[in-house]
Amino acid sequence: MHSPPMPLASASLWTTAWQQLRRNRLAMVCLGIIVFYALVAVYAEGVYWFYRLRQQTPPYKVVEFESRFAQPSWRHPLGTDSLGRDVFRQVVQGTRIAFEVGILTSLIAIPIAVLLGALAGYFGKRVDDLIVWLYTVFDSIPGLLFILAIAIVVGKGLLGVCLGIGLTTWVGLCRLIRGEYIKHRDRQYVLAARVIGVSDWAIMFRHILPNVLHLVIISFSLRFPGAILTEVVLSYLGVGVQGEPSWGIMISDAKLRLWQGHWWELAGATTAMFFIVLAFNLFGDALRDALDPKLRTAEAKTA
Amino acid sequence: MCCFRPLLRVVAVLLAAMGSLRVEAIIPARQNAAFYGSTERIRGFDPVQTGDTTSAAAVSKVYEGLYEYKYLARPYAVRPLLAEALPEISADALTYTIRIRRGVRFADDPCFPGGKGRELTAEDFLYSWKRLADTRNRSTGYWIFEGRIVGLDEFHKRSIKEKVRYDEPVEGLQVLDRYTLQIKLTQPYPQLIWVLTMTYTFAVPREAVEYYGEEFLNHPVGTGPFVVADWRWRNYRIVYARNPNYHGDTYPTEGEPGDPLEDAGQPIPFLNRITEYVVGDDSTEWLMFLSGQLAASGISRNNFDAVITAQKDLTPELKVRGIRLYKSPRMYTTYLGFNMDDPVVGKNQKLRQALACAVDIEKWIAFYNHRMVPATGPIPPGVAGYDPAQPSPYKFDLDRARRLLVEAGYPGGKDPQTGSRLTLTMEIGNASDPETRQAADLLASFFDRIGVELKPSYNNWPEFLKKLERRQAQMFQLGWLIDYPDAENFLQLFYSKNASPGPNHCNYANPEFDRLYEQIRVMQDSPERTAIYQRMAGLVVEDCPWIFLTHPLSFGLFQPWLKNFKPSDFPYPNMKFYKVERHP
Repeated sequence: MHSPPMPLASASLWTTAWQQLRRNRLAMVCLGIIVFYALVAVYAEGVYWFYRLRQQTPPYKVVEFESRFAQPSWRHPLGTDSLGRDVFRQVVQGTRIAFEVGILTSLIAIPIAVLLGALAGYFGKRVDDLIVWLYTVFDSIPGLLFILAIAIVVGKGLLGVCLGIGLTTWVGLCRLIRGEYIKHRDRQYVLAARVIGVSDWAIMFRHILPNVLHLVIISFSLRFPGAILTEVVLSYLGVGVQGEPSWGIMISDAKLRLWQGHWWELAGATTAMFFIVLAFNLFGDALRDALDPKLRTAEAKTA
Repeated sequence: MCCFRPLLRVVAVLLAAMGSLRVEAIIPARQNAAFYGSTERIRGFDPVQTGDTTSAAAVSKVYEGLYEYKYLARPYAVRPLLAEALPEISADALTYTIRIRRGVRFADDPCFPGGKGRELTAEDFLYSWKRLADTRNRSTGYWIFEGRIVGLDEFHKRSIKEKVRYDEPVEGLQVLDRYTLQIKLTQPYPQLIWVLTMTYTFAVPREAVEYYGEEFLNHPVGTGPFVVADWRWRNYRIVYARNPNYHGDTYPTEGEPGDPLEDAGQPIPFLNRITEYVVGDDSTEWLMFLSGQLAASGISRNNFDAVITAQKDLTPELKVRGIRLYKSPRMYTTYLGFNMDDPVVGKNQKLRQALACAVDIEKWIAFYNHRMVPATGPIPPGVAGYDPAQPSPYKFDLDRARRLLVEAGYPGGKDPQTGSRLTLTMEIGNASDPETRQAADLLASFFDRIGVELKPSYNNWPEFLKKLERRQAQMFQLGWLIDYPDAENFLQLFYSKNASPGPNHCNYANPEFDRLYEQIRVMQDSPERTAIYQRMAGLVVEDCPWIFLTHPLSFGLFQPWLKNFKPSDFPYPNMKFYKVERHP
């Protein structure tokens, strides 16, 4: 029988999880890749703001028309595109956009999911009915079309994409959180807190939330690559990021000339996307294994 | 033409762009002067319903109008077809008297007594034009006469409420005798001659309309060189045969240097049969052309590079097969428009000139595969008033652009008051096309070189047009395809009374220009009028409400055995001049 995690055990949960993760070599490689991408994104963000504040054209936008469709070389490690812009620099900037989208959508979706899930699970009854109805409705709308609709209403661009993805992808996490809150709301530590007069709000977010936070972290690491892919699809369709390099725009541009053997633009964008998405997925899996005590014991049993 | 709605134009442009590929695609048979061609699905053969190029091409084989474009002459000129001569115009330019050719008979058809085709008379045009005005016929073409012919608008309005009879007199449309037609205009309309070449005005016999009723659409009875021989499988093919009653015509005897003139003066048509298949797929059509089934083909953007070398020549593989390439300018101008109501760009002529000088047009053209020639003004090649020798005063010159920018009050592209960079927004109509997006980035890089930032804003077509109509755009990218070969059609885009929501989307207003426009609007074609056209174009070039970009070229291919082929902006009736030689 598994004993329910005690409030005190939560600190050791993180420590043991980290120890387990460190033993998982693949997870550590993935973490390394993620950190590397994150550093690249930070660097790209710095480049972006440096040139924006100085009101100059950033190097990744510099058109060298004479050297368009240049093959990869020392000067252009991934060649140049149809306007002679450096593909490598655009891939780097694409990383920035990918991280912005991943983080911003999470900042939108996760608070919605946690708040609604907590309210529904903790209060139950009418509140639960309402929230369950709400997320069922959201869930029944085809995802990509919904995102497209929001992106078009809000206006094309990064904001539209982030709102679109953020407002449509909270349902899964919301369900999980609601389930956890239903489990926790009658636990002894919650009852004890209620007896000594702690407010509902404090119980929900100071007592129960730390016990379900691992779900949020797992969800974050798994939804991140999804958001990146969705952004790429939207940009490919022309409703995504405007005027900034995005992997989706690069792929869309590259397809025009692919059959003529200009492979580098497509290769650059897809390779960059492939590794970050793979790393996040593998790391997210490992994180779930490490953080979810039930899975851990199941693993221990099978081992 | 202030009455044209922009949306209609856009649709027309799109249709023309799609149709131009189709119309030129004709497949020859191996012998006996029979053709195999490709077409789009044809809606029907009612001249009043020919808003698209495919229908126009079909209708033009069977029906005819009073006038047509000379096959080989450029700039385009009109010659009589069913008329005997060019119209006699009264001194006030309000009355046109047109004599009809005698002895022209409609094709034999059961709708006529005894099945024998009747002779064409002036009454037939009266009848046909009243049909055009009758709203029950749902014509898209009434704009050509709207507000122009005395009494016809009243007839048109009445037909909305009640069933009109075509015997009712209309003051502006009179028959003087069996072969003479008189048109009375509300104001001079020098473009009337061009309008009378359009399929909307073609003559249909009253007997056929009444005999076939709703089915008239599928039973054309005309005076043209061909009749419809077989159209049972309408989504599969349509067969035309030579019209035995055809009044006869001859191949032109003069043209431009290099024009096909081996058959000068020979009777037309040369073809006995035309079979057109509804192909409906670009790659299928392309493969049919390569396998020798098609005589001519357009070149889609996707296989342009596979067909044309970097030197804008045919690839050797196609050359050895004798396939010929044609390039011809289209009467089409692409431009960047400024909204003259905008406080930044609208009130600052030097700024607009500076931006015009910053556009590196050679690179722009290179980006588009060299499928266009640079524009120096609004008037495209092929139209009287176009002057290729006249260099644009604001051609690409970075130093000059920077100097003009200083004069405009933005040294180095910076606003001295705020110290920040001048940022302009350009509206673009087709959001999801990667090529358009890259082109916008290229434009942005041109302006970046003089320090001005250009932000493209992508819209879909309806959004884009709405922004233009509401005058919300700062800059926009657009093109204009001519409706008839008269520079007036371009110059009306700068007439202040045509401002948005009219076609003058830059909301340009210049009293001098307006005065000249009102003058030429009622002038007949003459060297004086052409001189005024050039003056007006000069005014516009100096004021820079547009940055003139290019005149796109049309590219196409044809097989060595197709003779007498000449590309045209108005190709609809031209098949009667084509000839097929025996396949080698």
